[in-house]
Amino acid sequence: MRKYIIPLIILATVSAYALFAGNNAIGTADILSVLAGHGTASQQLILYQVRLPRIIAAISSGAALSVAGYLLQGCLDNRIVSPGILGINNGAGLFVLLSALLFPFHSGAKCMMAFTGALLVTIVVSMLSVKTGMSKTSVVLSGVAISALCVSVIDLIISLKPETVADRAAFQIGGFAAVQFKIVLFAAPMIVVGLIVSLITAPAMDILSLGDEMAYGLGLGVKRYRSITVLCAAVLSGASICMGGLLGFVGLIIPNCVRMLYKGKSRQGMILCIICGAAFLLLCDTISRLIVFPYELPCGLVLSMIGAPYLIWILIKKRKRLGAD
Amino acid sequence: MINIKDLTITYSYGDPFHIPFLSFAKGEVTSIIGKNGCGKTTLLRTIAGMLPYSGSIRIGEKECREYRGMDRSKKTAYLPQMIKAVNMDVRTLVEHGRYPWHGNYRRLSAEDKAYVSEALTITGMNEYRDRDLTELSGGQLRRAYLSMIIAQHAEMILLDEPTTFMDIESQELFYRIARQLAAKGCGVIMTCHNIEQGFSFSDRIVIMEDRCVKKTGTPKELVGEKEEFRKMFGAAVKESKDAESLYPYVLIK
Repeated sequence: MRKYIIPLIILATVSAYALFAGNNAIGTADILSVLAGHGTASQQLILYQVRLPRIIAAISSGAALSVAGYLLQGCLDNRIVSPGILGINNGAGLFVLLSALLFPFHSGAKCMMAFTGALLVTIVVSMLSVKTGMSKTSVVLSGVAISALCVSVIDLIISLKPETVADRAAFQIGGFAAVQFKIVLFAAPMIVVGLIVSLITAPAMDILSLGDEMAYGLGLGVKRYRSITVLCAAVLSGASICMGGLLGFVGLIIPNCVRMLYKGKSRQGMILCIICGAAFLLLCDTISRLIVFPYELPCGLVLSMIGAPYLIWILIKKRKRLGAD
Repeated sequence: MINIKDLTITYSYGDPFHIPFLSFAKGEVTSIIGKNGCGKTTLLRTIAGMLPYSGSIRIGEKECREYRGMDRSKKTAYLPQMIKAVNMDVRTLVEHGRYPWHGNYRRLSAEDKAYVSEALTITGMNEYRDRDLTELSGGQLRRAYLSMIIAQHAEMILLDEPTTFMDIESQELFYRIARQLAAKGCGVIMTCHNIEQGFSFSDRIVIMEDRCVKKTGTPKELVGEKEEFRKMFGAAVKESKDAESLYPYVLIK
């Protein structure tokens, strides 16, 4: 339990700061008054339609993407795997582009299409992987192939219809500036379901970490568990992409940091991913909206600028601790 | 008890593997001896339910292919040749041996913990229980995995070349553990290259050559067939009468 305390304190602090900091039109006292059921209509609008949905979206996306990365890295025994490597991000990107082509005046369609794309690509990658033996390599290679196919279709659409690019660029950097409460209501329950299934089946990941043969000998249905894991990762990524765009990096950095700082059972590792991922993405989102206030930076930009040096620092620290040359 | 009848395993290359009849009993240590590529590992993996086959492999009251997941793992425990030094401590690894009994949903019971503790004691790994697997030597790592297999508490234990990378002392300890498990009523089937050790620590020997079972019998029954052994392995074994020799059977030209 002790290992969760510091990340939880950080998450609570960042959440409180994200709730109270921002536009001066609504101060701390106003927020407390709105939370108590008072306040003006505009203050209620800012809190319930802008700030709270954004915080919930950032927390749930951070948790979901981190666990999705943790699941994929664990089940494929590859620390550089993330939803992006399996083509999930590019699948979502392709469908967002299609939505800009097919339903240019429907903002809600973008999210639905992103989710559909993520899910569809995962199903295709899973089917391909089953056809090619469902081994670690075949899953990754199937993902890379489908990802490349999605990119080529994206490039084709851009060549034929260049006006769709602006929408796609904003989506690809990722962020929560335009997140709507109705989308959070649609995506957050899916994330909760995905997280619950991942946590319930987490002991199987410990068994799988011993290798396919050993896991089979211990009674684990290796192919079935790998399929469940990939599907869970798709649901988690799809729901997150639908809220915040392609914030893929968090799915790579948080699981790696958790694995480097904590060695133990997967269930505890996933809980740490949930807390740390949520805190990290919310922190990045809060920085992105306050650092050049009243303007805003895309969250994905801040995420990479903080995340990449932090990952490098952790890698160097670990190497020094092991005394490797 | 495992009974094999008319077993055929088809490879994607080369001749199929055929065994007309073979059986393994509980309470015995059986060594499968043969040269590289003769089919020892294939046979073990098939018994462990990992490869498709035609014919019959009866484990207890059911056919091998009829067992599903964890039920199969309560009957047979399999330790492959290649094992991984993952980032986890020895105790956690051994606790994973109880997975077929508690699955994803149940916590370790007092009974599970007792099996884990017993397994660590049998293999002498108790003092290393908090050590990370990455910090163990090759021999200790194998013993840690053996502890896990023992904690699995299956009726038959299948060990694929269990003494690979071990020094002589560790190898002997490993075989003594196998004997101890057999004495407790468990069936131990292992593959090995070392004829001397196979004869010295086993109740029964299965000799394999070119994907066929050439001979089966007790060490006493087979020790006389020196010419056959010389043809197959380039060496034979004899009973040792020398008090200073390490094993009851020794290697001869």
